[in-house]
Amino acid sequence: MHMNRIQQHPVLSVQKERVRVTFYFDGEEISGFEGEPVASSLIAAGHHVFSYHHRDGAAQGLFCANGQCSQCTMLIDGVPKKACMTPVAEGMDVRTLKGLPQLPAQDEPLVQAERRSIRTDIFVIGAGPAGLAAAAELGEMGYQVLVADDKPRAGGKLVLQTHKFFGSEADCYAGTRGIDIARILEGEATRHPSVTILTNAPVVGLYKDRKAGIFLNYESYLIVEFTALVVAAGAREKALQFPGWDLPGVIGAGAFQTLVNRDLVKAYRNILIVGSGNVGLIAAYHALQAGIGVAGIFEAAGRITGYQVHADKIRRMGVPIFLNSTVVRAEGAEKVERAYVAAVDEKFQPLPGTSRVYDVDAILIAVGLSPCNEFLEQAQRYGIMAVAAGDAAEIAEASSAIYGGKTAAVRLACMLGKKTAIHVDWETTRQVLASRPGDSYERSFVIPGPEWRPVFFCAEEIPCNPCATVCPVGAIQLKSLRGTIMDLPYFAGNRCTGCGSCVAVCPGLAITLVRRVSDDKAQVVLPWEFNADFDIGAEMDLVDQKGGFIERAAVVAKRKVAARNTWLLTFKVNVEHASKIAGIRVQPEALTLPLGGEQGEVQAEAVDDLDAVLCRCERITLRQAVEFIKRHNVRDVNQLKALRVGMGACGGKTCSQLVAKAFALAGIDFADVEPPTHRPLFMEVPMGALVNEGLHKLGGKDAGARGAP
Amino acid sequence: MKHFDVVIVGAGSVGLPLSWQLAQRGLNVAVVDEEASWGRGQNRAAIGGVRATHSDAAKIRICLESIEIFSTLEAQYGFDIEWRPGGYLYVAYDAETEGQFRSLLEKQKAAGLHIDWVNPDAVARLAPGILMDGLRGGTFSPEDGYASPLMAGSAFHSLALDAGVSFFFNSRIERIRVEDSKVISMWVGDEEFRADLFVNAAGAKASDIAKLAGFELPVFPDCHEAGVTEPVERFMEPMIVDIRSDAESGNYYFYQAATGQVVFCITPRPQIWGRDKDSTSTFLPLVVRRMLELYPRMRNLRVRRTWRGMYPMTPDGLPIVGYPDAAVNFLQATGMCGQGFMMGPGLGRILARTIAAGGCHDRPAGTTEYGFVFEELSINRSFDHVELLK
Repeated sequence: MHMNRIQQHPVLSVQKERVRVTFYFDGEEISGFEGEPVASSLIAAGHHVFSYHHRDGAAQGLFCANGQCSQCTMLIDGVPKKACMTPVAEGMDVRTLKGLPQLPAQDEPLVQAERRSIRTDIFVIGAGPAGLAAAAELGEMGYQVLVADDKPRAGGKLVLQTHKFFGSEADCYAGTRGIDIARILEGEATRHPSVTILTNAPVVGLYKDRKAGIFLNYESYLIVEFTALVVAAGAREKALQFPGWDLPGVIGAGAFQTLVNRDLVKAYRNILIVGSGNVGLIAAYHALQAGIGVAGIFEAAGRITGYQVHADKIRRMGVPIFLNSTVVRAEGAEKVERAYVAAVDEKFQPLPGTSRVYDVDAILIAVGLSPCNEFLEQAQRYGIMAVAAGDAAEIAEASSAIYGGKTAAVRLACMLGKKTAIHVDWETTRQVLASRPGDSYERSFVIPGPEWRPVFFCAEEIPCNPCATVCPVGAIQLKSLRGTIMDLPYFAGNRCTGCGSCVAVCPGLAITLVRRVSDDKAQVVLPWEFNADFDIGAEMDLVDQKGGFIERAAVVAKRKVAARNTWLLTFKVNVEHASKIAGIRVQPEALTLPLGGEQGEVQAEAVDDLDAVLCRCERITLRQAVEFIKRHNVRDVNQLKALRVGMGACGGKTCSQLVAKAFALAGIDFADVEPPTHRPLFMEVPMGALVNEGLHKLGGKDAGARGAP
Repeated sequence: MKHFDVVIVGAGSVGLPLSWQLAQRGLNVAVVDEEASWGRGQNRAAIGGVRATHSDAAKIRICLESIEIFSTLEAQYGFDIEWRPGGYLYVAYDAETEGQFRSLLEKQKAAGLHIDWVNPDAVARLAPGILMDGLRGGTFSPEDGYASPLMAGSAFHSLALDAGVSFFFNSRIERIRVEDSKVISMWVGDEEFRADLFVNAAGAKASDIAKLAGFELPVFPDCHEAGVTEPVERFMEPMIVDIRSDAESGNYYFYQAATGQVVFCITPRPQIWGRDKDSTSTFLPLVVRRMLELYPRMRNLRVRRTWRGMYPMTPDGLPIVGYPDAAVNFLQATGMCGQGFMMGPGLGRILARTIAAGGCHDRPAGTTEYGFVFEELSINRSFDHVELLK
């Protein structure tokens, strides 16, 4: 049971009182926690293969963990269902799906067919930061608002975020952890009596007659009639196609966060991350917190694409970041067992003779997000009054999404004829919060004196200021160059009391405190967001801003800043090192070495990218797509449907981002290509549910006992 | 200016196979379509049923030829179009329907069709799990079947390309120049296309094209919605048709494709005239209720996607095929009434044969034996006939 469970987490509370249930996997008894998805229970028990594809027998497992891709479909109580969205229950019969499923012979006549519908003024798709902020604003204006979200809890991806947020405290709860922000935003929305939030309520169709269909509780079908629409459906992770990307163990970084931070499953032993954006960087941090090794972050570009301060934090913890390099191949028997990486040229093509192989059991794909904007496109085509907010409008931080939600709400109210205007500061705030990093500055060297003072290791302009607002004596200010929270903080004056508030609040873990205590020794206070079950005197490797080793020193004091759920550790170090020390190494270097040691160069057996699968649902290779495009001179993505690309269970959500590669390889400019047409349903729904036949008809071996509603 | 032997308007169910058949006979053929690629009008919306079991000689003949083409495409040309001769099963749950089917059966048998009455047990063998309560039996025609419209469309496009057909996509017919009841040229965008023969295979937009040539074509599109499920292991073989109507729907039909998905379509009541391709919220609850009433086992089957397409209807439910008096070299191959996919290949071959045999306004079948097809489907007919199995 505890094989792959996180027993202890520095931020998340591991609830001991979760109810255990016993279910059956291919006849074998397995235990899981009540309410968690079947997929999480299975992975916790070490099972990663959920099905064998009906076309070629390829092993398939968890991929998006988000109810979107359908790769995790299994036979659950005799019916094909997504293991990532189906809560495990006592006595459940879960089976590996081998080939096509058989339709259970439940031939008793239909006893009831019912249409259920409700009406609302405004329908909000998605209860993430943007949707919740929009709902709160619209509720404030008195509109009747219905918010529908496909997940069991409101908050969107915030519920997966154990780290403290950037931004400003005044605007967006900076310094507070995402999981806590989710609760705050939900409260802001639901304090208005006219706002209702439906969870476990995926929107599966938007229709011309200004109605939407909800697959309510994944059991029944509810039609929502509305006047106007807010699309705050968030984003989906971009895919990356390479030989072996279809093996179980290659998953999205968001999927990984779901397993680790929501379900507390220590899903893997040692992982490798592709992409150095904030999502990839933060996934490394989440892995380390869960006790999972990170061999490295590989970035095809020549620079880190996330916040510098984030990247430095990860490096200090002992995770190397490799630029101009990427994963070229995954290998393993039915699951990732090895990953090959190689250096790439400026066109992202692998350079021969540079590949190395890593002993990892998972590859996290964090190569960016693309907006879930299908509902907006459909609404616009149907002439439905609609606005988009958050990632569905523009990929940015959750903090910016909150303001996107607020401004979208007001824009919609104006469209509905309300005499109102967007608060002058909101749009500016949203833009600042959505800013890409600005300039970098070199900070001057700090010589520790007898009094405490902070040392800053953030050198790049990003929208963030909690250190300045949290300082009780006002000793930290922003250097006023831009006049926004993009400005860098600096130590203004000598009133520092050494309280450590700034150290504990900084989302980048980029502030330390130093003071000289003798001629050759100084104290340094460092933040610590990991297990603190060690005694005073424990020795740790202290590192500089970029993770370079400085000295090994003993902890002389530790205290917890409860409000930030962060430990402050004090070390006694050489005085000339004190202000260079920026953090503490968390994982040993040995974990980050390729097989064969530091110089371990391995020649990957040449596998043509073209023979790798392009469409995971239907197992169509890139080569098949390229040849079809060439043969037919295709200029229309829709034509790939003749190959079944885009016709599978995911509805093209995964491959639609990859087909551009096929057109490029066929020598066709993707700008000249007709985009795909999106049609309902957005997610597969059983026929019984579409007519609200009732729970007792939806299958399940104890179906009769549950009774009709 | 471009010159061709034949210019076909519409790269769809009818235009694609026709262009291939003409080019195979050595003609220089252009196909013009306003969509970005082939089959993007109503061909993409077809569900894939192919049957010869009609009630009119012309349609029976056309579809028999279609079945011959569909069923041999893989063996002859290497294109897998997922053809499966699963047969058509018309089910009867009341005496009136049974009576209709039985009387039609005689005509169909007389026309040489392989079709017979099957009892409820046989129905249950063909479609295990179908509602047995009240089932009287049905007619079954084992040589009918189904294929993938997308794959068939691509196959015909490929064959046409290889035969030398020139395709012009994203290209609208702006103007048609008619002199002395003869089409001289068509303006495609700002370019003039000349040909000896023009063909209207514009499906749901056929009457717009006819209007450009100065005559009225009684083709009025109405909307139908269709859907497809996830694939499951084969559990039923034939295309099942239930012709009963109720307050909100007419007949509906569904089959399990060669690859395991169930594909379904329903005729709304009242008919929805127009060209709206956008999905509505009423379709799924309506069609699913009827599907489950007839076939409760599908309650666990997940619907994957729905779409909406048009039936280019004529007043009597029969296609319009022939050379109009107002434009004698403008062959009409239109008004397929939702059966373009199943009639296209056969009709294409028949038209190509007649054209090669000197077919024209005065003698549409040329020296071939297809005279009855042009007679039955003539644009100048009275349109007062009603087809039972439309």
